[in-house]
Amino acid sequence: MDMNFKNAGNELTVSLAGRLDTTTSPELEKELSTKLDDVGSLIFDFKDLEYISSAGLRVVLATQKTMNKKGSMKLINVNNNILEILEVTGMTDILTIE
Amino acid sequence: MKRRLAIKFNSILILMGVLIFLVTVGIGGYEYYQSIVNLYNEQAYQTAAMASTFFSDEQLYDWSETAFEVSKMEDPSGEIQKVTEDPEYVEILDHIRDLRDSVDANDIFVFVVDTEVLNNYTVEAHDAGTWRPMIYLADCYRESEYDFLFGDTGKVAYDYIGLMDKAIKTGEKPTEKIISDGGFGNNISAMYPVVRDGKTVLMVGVEIPMVLLERDLKVFMIVTLIAAAIATAILLLITSVHFARSIISPIKMISSEAGNFIENENQISEKLKTVKTKDEIQTLSEALLKMEIGINEYIDNLTRVTAEKERIGAELNIATQIQADMLPCIFPPFPEKKELDIYASMTPAKEVGGDFYDFFLLDDDHLALVMADVSGKGVPAALFMVISKTLIKDQAQSCRSPKTILETVNNQLNESNAQSMFVTVWLGIMEISTGKLVAANAGHEYPLLKGADGGFELIKDKHGMVLGAMEDLKYKEYELEVPENGCLFLYTDGVPEATDDQNNMFGTDRLLEALNEDPGADSTTLLKNVKKKVDEFVGGAPQFDDLTMLAVRRVKI
Repeated sequence: MDMNFKNAGNELTVSLAGRLDTTTSPELEKELSTKLDDVGSLIFDFKDLEYISSAGLRVVLATQKTMNKKGSMKLINVNNNILEILEVTGMTDILTIE
Repeated sequence: MKRRLAIKFNSILILMGVLIFLVTVGIGGYEYYQSIVNLYNEQAYQTAAMASTFFSDEQLYDWSETAFEVSKMEDPSGEIQKVTEDPEYVEILDHIRDLRDSVDANDIFVFVVDTEVLNNYTVEAHDAGTWRPMIYLADCYRESEYDFLFGDTGKVAYDYIGLMDKAIKTGEKPTEKIISDGGFGNNISAMYPVVRDGKTVLMVGVEIPMVLLERDLKVFMIVTLIAAAIATAILLLITSVHFARSIISPIKMISSEAGNFIENENQISEKLKTVKTKDEIQTLSEALLKMEIGINEYIDNLTRVTAEKERIGAELNIATQIQADMLPCIFPPFPEKKELDIYASMTPAKEVGGDFYDFFLLDDDHLALVMADVSGKGVPAALFMVISKTLIKDQAQSCRSPKTILETVNNQLNESNAQSMFVTVWLGIMEISTGKLVAANAGHEYPLLKGADGGFELIKDKHGMVLGAMEDLKYKEYELEVPENGCLFLYTDGVPEATDDQNNMFGTDRLLEALNEDPGADSTTLLKNVKKKVDEFVGGAPQFDDLTMLAVRRVKI
């Protein structure tokens, strides 16, 4: 999986490509844990994300909880496969998807 | 192998020793030879000078002139006789002979040179003996029968023509040494010009055998050879012993200690501490010792870590087993309920996972069915699975509403969930006698239902959030009916998301196809069919997720 982080002021855009699964989720979690300190607006760009497993969902969920306390978080460019997974798990209710 | 260093070292030493020895002897011998030759040379010229003093100036002029004239005469015998019978001439010859004997010379001779003839020579004339520029005044050879007589002519050896010419013209003795191989060994010759009024009147030749050279040089060489040989040998011995002690033996010791360390189960080489050469060898020895200690520490550490790892591995195996044992695995589970055909299976991936299924009777007519999947893998997922399973079963005992059970368990899970773990749960409670089923879905996969006649179909039920995401979530209940000969199939995402090596997923379409392949199949066969199809699809690709399935069939009795 490829991760790309782009800062603009207090806005951080995280672009993910490939598979966010058991193997790759810890990497994302580790990266995010060091980068969210001064972030007020977090954007996940899922344009090239092919697959998300429950481990990946956990990281997204945990990040949402962190951002709830200090700002906002949204997902953009979510494709149908990923959207279906988010719907099945009920995540669409608590995540902001554009 | 082990002696190679010493052999190399000593070979080089011996070679160098021999070289030094040869150079010493060579230079010494040459210098000695030169000094002896110089000594004889000096003696020869002194002798020649001495011989020249036997003649008065008048005699010099007279006799040399006569000698020239005589050499040109057709019959010179009268003139020769005049000189040779002159008592003064006879007396001089006696003096010269005395002088010859006193200095051990071979020959002392007095002559004039016809310089015109001297400088006009041809090789043929020289070789034929017709070219004879020397005219003798006197010759006192040690064997008198070979003496030249007054007026006799003689040739000059090739090599000395130039020397002689130069000596006559300059009136100075040649700087070159004239050494010839005589019948008595090496001879040195003097070619002494006798000068009067700036002109060379005549020449005195002296030939002395260098007896000392023969004898002394040999002695000198032998003595020098022996002395140099002894000195070289002593030097070699000292150097060899010194190197053996300071370099070779410490290195051999270090080498053998290193070998011992490898062969004797990493026993530290205490001997290495004894190397006190205060140079690179001591550094090497100390480094080796340090390395040995380091290796042993590393091995100890590795052993400890490996043991720890094995222990954790073993514990993890037990944990996996405990987790697997938590799932009902005796089939049929309720043998007295012939109308129920239940079968379930979980094929874990490599690591301990978070999938689980459960079914249990709430009372004689109500069966609870659970299919769940905890986020992530490994020990955290397994622990969360145990908590979730226990809470769900616990809540189900006191409450018959799946909606309420999920809401309660969700809040319980959220009480302490810093890690944001979550679990997807499908929970249904079925009335066994009628097949009527009340269910709620917390973010889990859609269930599959087979009616009495048709095939399996996806039930797109209303989803709620996964359990553990946040507090006070609401869930919706819905009703389903499993008719007689109907079947409910529950699974986790490991089934539709099984992936082949091209990253293609198995998907719900293939799942439905597999389920509908054999309409009359019982639950056990059904699960085996699906497992088989999934295995075929995945091929050699590694299994990422647990494969968990549960089928409930109502059998007509």
